[in-house]
Amino acid sequence: MAAVQETIDAVAALEKYEHGFTSDIETEFAPRGLNADIVRFISEKKGEPEWMLEWRLAAYERWLAMEEPTWSSVKYTPVDYQSLFYYAAPKKKDGPKSLDEVDPEILEIYKKLGIPLKEQEVLAGVEGAPRYAVDAVFDSVSVVTTFKAELAKVGVIFMPISEALREHPELVRQYLGSVVPVSDNYFAALNSAVFSDGSFVYIPPGVKCPMELSTYFRINASQTGQFERTLIIADKGSYCSYLEGCTAPMRDENQLHAAVVELVALDDAEIKYSTVQNWYPGDAEGKGGIYNFVTKRADCRGDRSKVSWTQVETGSAVTWKYPSCILKGEESSGEFYSIAITNGHQQADTGTKMIHLGKNSKSRIIAKAVSAGKSDSTYRGLVSVHPKATGVRNFTQCDSLLIGKDCGSHTVPYIEARNGSAQLEHEATTTRLSDDQLFYAQQRGLSQEEAVALLVNGFVRDVMQKLPMEFAVEAQKLVAISLEGSVG
Amino acid sequence: MSMIDLRDPSTFPSRRVEAWKYTDLHRVLRETPPPSPAVEIVFGGPFVALGGEEIAFANGRAVGADAFVASGEQTLRLRFVSAATGTGHSASVRIAVKPGARLTLLESHEGAGAGYVANYRIDLDVPAGAEVTRVVMVDEPADAISIAVAHVKTAPGSVYRQTTIASGARLQRQETHLAHGGEATAVTLDGLYALSGARHTDLTSVVRHNGLNGVTSQLTKGVVRDTARGVFQGKIVVERGADGTDARMGHHALILGERAEVDAKPELEIYADDVQCAHGNTIGNLDESALFYMQSRGIPADEARALLTQAFLFEVVDRIAHEGAREVVRSWLTARL
Repeated sequence: MAAVQETIDAVAALEKYEHGFTSDIETEFAPRGLNADIVRFISEKKGEPEWMLEWRLAAYERWLAMEEPTWSSVKYTPVDYQSLFYYAAPKKKDGPKSLDEVDPEILEIYKKLGIPLKEQEVLAGVEGAPRYAVDAVFDSVSVVTTFKAELAKVGVIFMPISEALREHPELVRQYLGSVVPVSDNYFAALNSAVFSDGSFVYIPPGVKCPMELSTYFRINASQTGQFERTLIIADKGSYCSYLEGCTAPMRDENQLHAAVVELVALDDAEIKYSTVQNWYPGDAEGKGGIYNFVTKRADCRGDRSKVSWTQVETGSAVTWKYPSCILKGEESSGEFYSIAITNGHQQADTGTKMIHLGKNSKSRIIAKAVSAGKSDSTYRGLVSVHPKATGVRNFTQCDSLLIGKDCGSHTVPYIEARNGSAQLEHEATTTRLSDDQLFYAQQRGLSQEEAVALLVNGFVRDVMQKLPMEFAVEAQKLVAISLEGSVG
Repeated sequence: MSMIDLRDPSTFPSRRVEAWKYTDLHRVLRETPPPSPAVEIVFGGPFVALGGEEIAFANGRAVGADAFVASGEQTLRLRFVSAATGTGHSASVRIAVKPGARLTLLESHEGAGAGYVANYRIDLDVPAGAEVTRVVMVDEPADAISIAVAHVKTAPGSVYRQTTIASGARLQRQETHLAHGGEATAVTLDGLYALSGARHTDLTSVVRHNGLNGVTSQLTKGVVRDTARGVFQGKIVVERGADGTDARMGHHALILGERAEVDAKPELEIYADDVQCAHGNTIGNLDESALFYMQSRGIPADEARALLTQAFLFEVVDRIAHEGAREVVRSWLTARL
């Protein structure tokens, strides 16, 4: 019964949203609102080169000319872009960043979140436990990045993107915006204008990154938006696994998180990108919570390159994102494994796009959605095959599980085949939690909540198995917690 | 008529309209076509051998009655005949069915001439205890534009079966909106397309489950060759409270031309939890190992391909409940493969 006890403990120990605490950190803000001067302010704060400022200003101009999209199935109170703070950074002394200089209160926050920021803490763990390097992004800035030196030994660059702009401007300039162009969509344009930090990763040719890389995003200040930008380049024959986690305090207001993530995989390179998204989802009445409007895209430029997206989406009031793969390289492959769990008044419109341009490119999509309470969940996805892409294969499976009478679950796949040699398969099912299975589990002594957690964990298992181990454990607990109170 | 009014070009949707994403009417039709002339047509059509009553529209004009009320056991041949060149016409027809009646509705879209634009609307009510089998055969010239929208209402305790067979045109769309009454109502909504040349066909359906325990079964299959384009858009909506719904949708297509295209959008929109809904979609080519096996048994490659294609499509034909209609469709299709 150990597993059962663990579930009970997990549910009991962690309240509805364990990361919802607020921290009083002295914060420096940019003036409220958005205009060209704010863009200049952010760029200046970051000490960016002139071309970067021009790039941002051009993005801002494009954003002004664009209209906020309305085609998704999510409904939300419009964001007042002029009432937000676009830059919020914990105050710190000038000088080189070392862990000792990071505000102890911030360190305390990460300790509470269970994120190891001290390298020795990671090392002091169980022998043989996987190590991972962390870039901790707090509101608009990266506060600390661990294992930088060790990674540099093998040539891996892992640092905040603001630092990369100073130290490796040529790399950033070459790749930034090459996967998600500035004018790609409304939120990407906004992000391009005002992004303040995020992670930059470059894996040199032939290098297998010796440890997991991870970024932990935390929104702390109120009335801010978080706009981070992540750029990962895997050069020929390299490999890296990257994890992303996010939390925010519980607040009555809706906060905007509009990130852009760009991945570039060259010949024979592989990137595994995993996300456990646990932004504050709002309270039981649907008040507050994060708007998670994110553009994530991978460019499989090289032949035989591979990108795998795995996401567990349990948080946010509104999630609207489609991690995608442009499969340009011959025999390139893209994978998308997703679990989206919505409860309360949460809404999620998520899925993927697999754009097959290269010959013999392959893709695989496994999406599992669980809706409970008054929530709504939509899978929206595209599989498209270019006329010149011969020998393309795709397999898509979307399963939805409904718990309760007031939730909704939708599936909107687009399949576009323009080549006769393509083989595309798609299947989707929607069902509810089986009464028989629930009864059986309860009859064996599980409480109703444990039984639900057990069945849901079974339902999402295919995707769970794709997560790196340390994330899988966390994700499994999240599934149980997110669905708390959804039955009965 | 559909939402499209041929007299008003602003009603011609472009692909920017989500429901017309793959069928861009605006691209092929920008202006109101001149009205089609009155023509005489002869009694008949592809289903003539099956007898029954006939209601016909020639270039949009009713030849006799323009509405029908079915009672008892009846067969109605509903014909939309176009004999026009470069002109346009519209028509709408209402078919009512008495409770307990059994209607076989054999609908044909027959085209002669070239480059015409046809725009039809069909309203059909299926009350409790009634049973309607509708078979729609669309056979038009390669450069025609035609749009037909059917609004079907099924009451609880009715049976509705529909099969649409299309061979495409420059732009052809058969749209069905079905309000599903639930309780003991069984709906079958099938489709079949066989396209060659540069033909385009679009089979779009929206099934809305409003009542309890409704059953829907949908199977669409298609074959595209050359530079043809097949579009399937199927949407099943299960409204709040429509518990016990069992809805299944399948779309399977063969692309037999290097430059042919198939676009599919099988959609589920579900607001009730006690449901069983599924859709499956496959797009691919003929099975190489099956082809090889047949050739190893002495069947020439072309013949083997034709046999496999026929077997693939006939699954839909075999589901047509009316034997006579099934045979008409079978021979029509065989002639085209």
